[in-house]
Amino acid sequence: MAQLYFLHALGASAREWDEVITGLGDLGDCVALDLPGFGDSADAVLDVAGLVDWFAQQVSARQPQSWAVIGHSMGGKIATLAAARARDGDPDFAGLAAVVLLAASPPAPEPMKEKRRAEMIGWFADGRIGTDEAAMFVDANTARRLPEPLRAQAIADVERSGRRAWTGWLERDSREDWQAAAGTLSVPALIVAGGEDGDLGEDAQRRLNLPHYRDARVEVVAGAAHLLPYERPSAVAALIRDHVTPAFARALPAPFVALLASDRVSRRTRAVLTERHAAPPPGKVLSPQQRAVLAALVETVLPGAADPVDLAARIDAMLTGGIGDGWRSAELPADAEGWTSGLDTLDRLARGFADAAPADRERCLRSIADGTGDTKGGDLDPRQMRLWFAEARAEIARQWMALPATMARIGYDGFAVGGDGPHKQGYRLTPADTIEDWQRLEARA
Amino acid sequence: MSGAADMADVVIVGSGAGGAPLAARLAEAGVSVVVLEAGRAFRPDDHVPDELAADIYWMEERLSGGADATAFGANNSGMGVGGSTLHWGAFCPRPDARDLRLRSESGQGEDWPIAHDELIGYVDAVERFIGVSGPARYPWDAGRRYELPPVARNAPADAMARGCAALGIVATDAPAALISRDRAQPHWGERKACVNCGTCHQGCRTAAKATTDTSWLPLAVAHGAEVRAECRVIDIERDGSGRVSGVVYVRRGERRRLACRTLFLCAGGVETPRLLLNLDLANSSGQVGRNFMAHVATQVWGRFDADMRMNRGYPSSLITENMMRAADADHAGGYLIQSLGVMPVTLATNLARGAGLWGRALVDLLDDYNRLGGIGINGDCLPSDDNRLTLADETDAYGLRKARIDFSYGPNERAIDVHARKTMTAIWEAAGARDIFAVDRSAHTIGTCRMGDDGDRAVVDADGRSFDIENLFICDNSVFPSALAANPALTIMALSLRTADRFLATRG
Repeated sequence: MAQLYFLHALGASAREWDEVITGLGDLGDCVALDLPGFGDSADAVLDVAGLVDWFAQQVSARQPQSWAVIGHSMGGKIATLAAARARDGDPDFAGLAAVVLLAASPPAPEPMKEKRRAEMIGWFADGRIGTDEAAMFVDANTARRLPEPLRAQAIADVERSGRRAWTGWLERDSREDWQAAAGTLSVPALIVAGGEDGDLGEDAQRRLNLPHYRDARVEVVAGAAHLLPYERPSAVAALIRDHVTPAFARALPAPFVALLASDRVSRRTRAVLTERHAAPPPGKVLSPQQRAVLAALVETVLPGAADPVDLAARIDAMLTGGIGDGWRSAELPADAEGWTSGLDTLDRLARGFADAAPADRERCLRSIADGTGDTKGGDLDPRQMRLWFAEARAEIARQWMALPATMARIGYDGFAVGGDGPHKQGYRLTPADTIEDWQRLEARA
Repeated sequence: MSGAADMADVVIVGSGAGGAPLAARLAEAGVSVVVLEAGRAFRPDDHVPDELAADIYWMEERLSGGADATAFGANNSGMGVGGSTLHWGAFCPRPDARDLRLRSESGQGEDWPIAHDELIGYVDAVERFIGVSGPARYPWDAGRRYELPPVARNAPADAMARGCAALGIVATDAPAALISRDRAQPHWGERKACVNCGTCHQGCRTAAKATTDTSWLPLAVAHGAEVRAECRVIDIERDGSGRVSGVVYVRRGERRRLACRTLFLCAGGVETPRLLLNLDLANSSGQVGRNFMAHVATQVWGRFDADMRMNRGYPSSLITENMMRAADADHAGGYLIQSLGVMPVTLATNLARGAGLWGRALVDLLDDYNRLGGIGINGDCLPSDDNRLTLADETDAYGLRKARIDFSYGPNERAIDVHARKTMTAIWEAAGARDIFAVDRSAHTIGTCRMGDDGDRAVVDADGRSFDIENLFICDNSVFPSALAANPALTIMALSLRTADRFLATRG
């Protein structure tokens, strides 16, 4: 079953998620964690790297094969850096399908007024946070006073914060700059801001978190400040559900992820396949109409197999990146122009290829392949169209075949032939009708 | 521009099969050598067993024309310290004596200006140095011995053995330049035995496969040679008398100059002639770029009832040389047949392009990947005036014009293709394959700066020395006068050692 990991804010505990989790129903197995030094966990001195390591242990101990992380405030910084390590092929984080950030602290130093930082650190001057100080903290971070017993619970959690964990975050961790390590992430992300939040409101989210995520949207929850899970639990639950459900639906099969996470796979290979499974970067070469024609072409070349819209986006991204396959037909224009001309000519030839019936599309492609299609008025002549169609279907097949989801579909495990250790496992058995235990993917589920 | 004092006796451009053995032998002889390589250096562990992510290919764009336009990129072109040996299939048949005398034998093609016996002496030296696995007895060459026992056969190899046996065609374990036992490689370390991972073309992660960066180059470096990675040569300088005086290269955006007494171009059958044509050098014969050849590399595929999983194991683990001179041949020369293990992306591309498939037929085949098996050929290709490398109007990032390669099969290549389809279809039928079909494909980049005895018909002499510029040599597959049926790398390495010996014997 898919899992959701919840990382709470400074001074909170796993309990801050109680109502959110109730609102999620059977979306997945919800694992709300007490960060070190908070809730029921013992006080600890951990820098940001230490917190991410701690989270890695939590996740790998449970071995989820498809999972999401929901990080609130301080927990958001951990969530983003976990996603970065998943991107870089860390086996502990394999299978991450989605990220949700709530009023999240960014990889960059968290914007915080120094006076306020000093004041909050000062609360521990006498050894522990007083109830008044805890109440001030909770009330200052909510748009309006929380109902009881939630407010009392929130205050009690602040009070039981470990001194070293509390001051460690404020003095050090929140100031650590992890922007370079976070880089650009392709995992789908939902970035939520409280409409009445201060330093970590919408502006900060757009400025400091959004640039790290290629495939992200920002949502603002009205009537809430910083303690979103307490303030608007059902709205937060609905946002999480809407974001995570499609991400889980397109997750790789659990046994495939387990193999990907195993020591038979190198970090670099895991990173490559993780990245490729995500949505491609935005393409800028094709017009919406050309995209539609390309999607229809994908549907005709690989019927019932490839996701036409996704594959068209991948080819647009490939054209935008300018990285081809090392050659092109001398009779075709440069790749980007070749594709736009080919798609336009195809559309013209079929008098609307995207909307044509499958049989008409097929007839049209057949006429291109045998050179009988009348391309008059099009950018490419019949011979060029024949060459372009050969190139197009090869590229479509290439992009689709390289997808981890396709590997899982055809039962291919050739990426799992050796990890980063000195001994590469390879295959022990090579004859027909022999198979090794690790290859029985269905049995690993 | 910096490094005005930078100087070497010999500069070698390219670190693959053509440049590396030469670098080692010259360095051993006390010559100061600098190897310039356009790509970066890898450790075996850096390679990634993924067809799109493997970054060992020359992916800068080339334009391909003609009726049988050949594919470049991952199909045949390497980049990195090790050159194309980083991705080569390590399929290692020896050049056939008859192929070197094809014109004398058939009246077609060209004879090589080097005697087969002499070349085989060097082949033997290469095999002993890099380590080759093969059968205990080689059916077509009774005296031949391989150092190491063969690597494991895979499912397509077993199928091909079955089919060949049924038809009375002799087949055996292929000679493969990878080691079936751990083996100490001088000046590099212990190369680990092949683990049957099947990813030779994406880069060997155990160093079982012979590549120049784990063999010849460490030997060269141990004798004082220097290998400079990420150095793209963009110009060749000459003195007042027309002799080469140095090269200009770009490293990470910085232009540098390196003076030399002798220059060896070993950049392969595309980049070597492209550089010469861009600089208008060594081409009084007009032969630079001419006679581009690619092996006829037709494949035949079919479905099996068995679970084949052909990505496992050394991809080309079975060979037959029976078709080198088939009794019923209507063509000059011949071809080798090998079993195939092809990775999914390469297969998908070849089925879509080379077999002209799309729609349900394509999806069904790709879904059946684990039950497919193939065999393929490496067939001789005659030099032809119609097939040549020229310069396109488009330029690359260095301002050099891109290569345009026009290639069309002639009657002899067509005849080989037809004969091979028939033979392979029969083998596959006998092996129990269903839904058999063929894929058009050509492979390797050969010719374009051919060697010969006549400076009007060739770019370099038999020693690899330019007829025009006395201190310019070429040593790679561009000097091949004819393609030979054998895959080229072993022959290139042998030529490389010979070129070194000839240089040492004849230098002033």
